[in-house]
Amino acid sequence: MRFTFTFSLGLALASSILIQSVGAADSSASSGDKVPLILKLPSPAFKGTPKDIQLSSYVEPLSDKPRPPMMVPAGLKNIAPGAKLTCSDKNATADTLGKIVDGDKEASEQSIIYLRKGTQWVQMDFGSPQEIFAVVLWHAHNSAKVYHDVIVQIADDQDFLQNVKTIFNNDQDNTSGLGVGTDREFFEIHEGKLIDTKGITARYMRFYSKGSTESALNEYTEIEVYGRPAK
Amino acid sequence: MTRSLTLVLLLAAGAAIALRWPGLDQRPMHNDEAVNAVKFGQLWDHQGYKYDPNEHHGPSLFYATLVLERLTAAPDLDHYTDARFRFVTVLFGLALLLLLPLIVDGLGRNGVIWSAVLTAVSPALVFYSRYFIHEILLVFFTFLALVAGWRYWRSRRIGWILLAGAGVGLMAATKETFVITLVAAAMAIGLNQIWNRLLDASGQPVKAAPVNLWHLAASLAVCLVTAVVLFSSFFTNASGPLDAIRTYQPWIHRAGGDSPHNHPWYFYLQRLLFFHVSSGPIWTEGSIFLLAIIGAIAGFRRRKLAGANASFVRFLALYVFSLTAIYSLLAYKTTWCLLSFWQGALLLAGVGSAVLIRTARNRYWRFGVIGLLLAATAHLAWQSWRADTTYAADPRNPYVYAQTSLDVFRLVNQLEGLALVDPGVHKIVVKVMAPEGDYWPLPWYLRRFKQTGWWDHVPEDPFAPVMVVSAKLHAALDEKKTHLMIGYFQLRPQLFFELYVQRDLWQEWLAHKPSALLPASQ
Repeated sequence: MRFTFTFSLGLALASSILIQSVGAADSSASSGDKVPLILKLPSPAFKGTPKDIQLSSYVEPLSDKPRPPMMVPAGLKNIAPGAKLTCSDKNATADTLGKIVDGDKEASEQSIIYLRKGTQWVQMDFGSPQEIFAVVLWHAHNSAKVYHDVIVQIADDQDFLQNVKTIFNNDQDNTSGLGVGTDREFFEIHEGKLIDTKGITARYMRFYSKGSTESALNEYTEIEVYGRPAK
Repeated sequence: MTRSLTLVLLLAAGAAIALRWPGLDQRPMHNDEAVNAVKFGQLWDHQGYKYDPNEHHGPSLFYATLVLERLTAAPDLDHYTDARFRFVTVLFGLALLLLLPLIVDGLGRNGVIWSAVLTAVSPALVFYSRYFIHEILLVFFTFLALVAGWRYWRSRRIGWILLAGAGVGLMAATKETFVITLVAAAMAIGLNQIWNRLLDASGQPVKAAPVNLWHLAASLAVCLVTAVVLFSSFFTNASGPLDAIRTYQPWIHRAGGDSPHNHPWYFYLQRLLFFHVSSGPIWTEGSIFLLAIIGAIAGFRRRKLAGANASFVRFLALYVFSLTAIYSLLAYKTTWCLLSFWQGALLLAGVGSAVLIRTARNRYWRFGVIGLLLAATAHLAWQSWRADTTYAADPRNPYVYAQTSLDVFRLVNQLEGLALVDPGVHKIVVKVMAPEGDYWPLPWYLRRFKQTGWWDHVPEDPFAPVMVVSAKLHAALDEKKTHLMIGYFQLRPQLFFELYVQRDLWQEWLAHKPSALLPASQ
């Protein structure tokens, strides 16, 4: 009780000092050359109840423009199905992870795996260095959503300590702590997210995410990696 | 009122509070809640209130909120919380229980007890008691008018009919759909009288003196005065009472089919009786529906009514059926409208519960029936809890309708963080752009940002330190590299906003961001 009273008194004193100092700042600003610019901006218009949209099994893509084709060398194949898969969520079994490379990219519940909340990753070990030209990534396109902190990295070792390179990063506020991203966020659509990796060489590849606008959980439907053995 | 009845009602009230009170801030404000909050804000800031006949319903919600806020020494609007508003509707939801003892001679003692229990735990009642919209007020004032009307019918004391008149006046001042309730009530009274005279004259209430026309006239006068006082904003808006009549033109237009809220006839029943979307749980208030049917049948058969008045129960059954039919046949439907007939169904279900207990052959059967009723109550309470917590903003919840996504908290936290690193703090210029003004509830959540502009298109000069732009506009305001598009934020399912931040402001935020200001999902 006594502590509370002392604390409250201290807070009140601190507040009054703060208020006085703010008041002084205001008066000096008003008496100086500069004054705050107050803009006349339009007010919000009141609106009635919006339309209710139920979740559906398929969402039309938000853009009607077809994706331009990516030019790659001839003879590439999807090397993801042959990769050894691991992930940060220890609850995910090998069978579960296998769904990420089983070729099933549908929007149904059966096609999607779920990883825990927070920043999670899925890792691929191609067994030997590969020359990689493109990655296509589907988190979940069962409803319109945007995944956060989508980061794709490569490295020379499975612990991602040696020669780590980031090839895609849209974590612009660096909340996942892997560096400030400069790529844009994107909508999950049936086409998947196509990332041009420009023939980079890697044996290990990691795909990070940190929940979506819809849920804190991390979903993965499919990952395709187009490449060929490095020379 | 007996001691045991008081005790059970107190327990029901305790359960009702436990389900309605916690976590009132967890669900983001719905579009309509935010509009109501901003409209109340104008009243609170002494800018007055003016009834809008085209949208947003009647004045009672705002004045009821004003009374409560005055009594509780509310802060300035910047420091309001969502919970403070929702507390108003929680009180009206709880007040329904207070009226129940006044119809103990209509429902019977056990009927009142079980009605109270089911009202306390019904997911629909609980969910919309935590919703800062007009619906629960309409339900409360309707029940007030019904209870007072019943008391007058029993006693012929003028005070009750004056209270009923005030109740109807308050219904009118709450929501335009009150006329549907009146039509259903009139149909039920008429049909019940026919039934009483032709088929079951013995079921009439106690022989009472003829209705005094002066009493009726006085009641009508109280009703009109109540409505006029509120619609005229306490005699400061002369056009208010006329607008209260003009309002039916746009509303009839909507009810006739020109609305995004057109749904099939079974829309309400589906949500109440069996609702299951993708991987969500199965929701049902079927137990209440079954008990209501049992109560209604008992009323018509006049058997094992357990102290309930057959005529009153029949009136309730006819009223609930008429109201459900009218709401179901109207093309225009929003989920919360079901509350009007569902509250009546809860009264019938109370009678049905009492009938079931009475029907039990011996005390073992009776214990079994009570056990089943308690299990149904627990199931309803569990669904209410899930609807309020895990599924509060989830479209897999049958009572969620065009709800704002939880992601809006992430956007607001991000904007608050940016304001803290800007020298102007909340005077930072924010420009919000969305087609058809579809940016609600952001005006409520951005009320502290004193220099915020709102557009339904991309204006000629869209640039500002912070821009919140609907993804539908494909604005691409980061092309000049002066701003960064730092992410998408979901306002509602399939409705996204892009957040553009001036490059140097963003770098400043990155350099100084305190962990406490990280977005809500961190």
